[in-house]
Amino acid sequence: METWVRFSAQSQAKERLFRAAQYACALAGDTLRRNGASAGVLASVRQLEAHLSLGRKLLRLGSSAEALEAAKRAIHLSDMVLRFCVTLSHLNRAMYFACDNVLWAGKTGLVPSVDQEKWSQRSFRYYLFALVVNLSRDAYEIRILMEREAGGKRAKGSENGRQLRADNGLQQLGLRLQIQLRLLIHVLRNNPPLLLDVVKNTCDLFIPLDKLGLYKTNPGFVGLCGLTSSILSILTILHPWLKLK
Amino acid sequence: MVEESPGVSSGYTQPWFCPSRCKPHHRCRNHSRCRRTKNRAVSTFMRAIQYTCMLLSYLIEHKADKEKLVMKLKQLESSMSSGRKMFRLGNMVHALVAARRTTQLPDVVPRFCLTASNLTRALYFICDAVLWLKSVGLQPDVDKPKWRNWATKCYYFSLLMNLARDWYEISWRLEQAVQEKKTKRNSFWETHNQELNCEKCDDLHGFFLRLFQILKRHPPLLLDLVKNLCDLSGPLDALGIYKTNAGVIGFCGILSSLVGILTLASPHLKLQQ
Repeated sequence: METWVRFSAQSQAKERLFRAAQYACALAGDTLRRNGASAGVLASVRQLEAHLSLGRKLLRLGSSAEALEAAKRAIHLSDMVLRFCVTLSHLNRAMYFACDNVLWAGKTGLVPSVDQEKWSQRSFRYYLFALVVNLSRDAYEIRILMEREAGGKRAKGSENGRQLRADNGLQQLGLRLQIQLRLLIHVLRNNPPLLLDVVKNTCDLFIPLDKLGLYKTNPGFVGLCGLTSSILSILTILHPWLKLK
Repeated sequence: MVEESPGVSSGYTQPWFCPSRCKPHHRCRNHSRCRRTKNRAVSTFMRAIQYTCMLLSYLIEHKADKEKLVMKLKQLESSMSSGRKMFRLGNMVHALVAARRTTQLPDVVPRFCLTASNLTRALYFICDAVLWLKSVGLQPDVDKPKWRNWATKCYYFSLLMNLARDWYEISWRLEQAVQEKKTKRNSFWETHNQELNCEKCDDLHGFFLRLFQILKRHPPLLLDLVKNLCDLSGPLDALGIYKTNAGVIGFCGILSSLVGILTLASPHLKLQQ
């Protein structure tokens, strides 16, 4: 019980739980539909999903301002690439939340003239761009860590370098790729926060890609991706050391 | 409409706190206590908006050409209400943990009152969760009026327990003040042999004066009393004990939400539990 109190006191915890529940409903709805469940069950699952979505939109009403604050703080980062990526990501998230607020106003009937489809597309576009920037930031971090590892390994011994002079170019390329892949796996295994962030952003990427029609999958797959990324972010809330700084 | 204020169970403090006081606490995202406060501020703010909509729609309901605005206010109010219900879903655990903590208080009366209050709040949250399940469509065969009635009764009882505790705090302070006055009076009489207007000490006027002085000297107690009295208007109306109108309930709700926001902004104003 104490764990629940501590967990739910975190500001993002409940919102993440509802997100996980929402995407679980999407996944369950698709699975039930494939297995021929009754229309009543499907309708109630869809209704629950809609309620969760609307409730989350309500909880996110102030998130636009928070994202702008985070962007303001990120301007003071020392590394230039990180500064650019993180600030841009927060700005895009702020725009996404602003579009989300407009959608909420439309859905609750406060501003009935809102074009739901148009604003939904807009918000997913900003979300997609924020995810792309996050992934490039992850790629940059991975690249730096890999260079550091490779530099360390080179200092240890140069005998491995002689093995690269293989017989033909293709084998050389294959060997190089193998070494890079091993290095990548080594870096990711030693940095769980980075690995978690990469997996989370990749899972999240499928949601706007599907909604914008750029890479259509099925609702079940989107639900699974959303559920996975929500569970991973709940893990980072439960264990703050897993959060990428 | 019974709407629970999130403030009371916030007497539970986390087992850890950040040892270093970071200055820009109102923007702080690093410390768990700051995130907790932000969480409660959000729900208190949503409650304030809900009651403002209730009051405004009551005030302009009968005016001509305002039907659209009234409908929008009612829609905003209901969306705030359902959002808050969803947000409250895990709070029965909070109330049970707070009840466990209050069983260890030193004084008997606060221990009994606060534990009973927290336990009935847990029951209220359970009824609230059942009502949410009905509103979402997961349990369509829930008897809504019955469960709502139970929820209101639980909330009403917990408010009465809170008020009993407030009254206990006031009464022992009153007694203390009377004792102090008596000792002062005795020493004063002996040294100066003057006629004191101590006859007024024992009548109603003196009582209210002392009460006012005590409340002025202890702002947390005053705020808690005001909050509980304001919160009482909702259940009194819903249970039919003292029917008022939506305007009064809305106004009292706004007042209690403001008190809640005030205690969140200045934690020293919160009555310790």
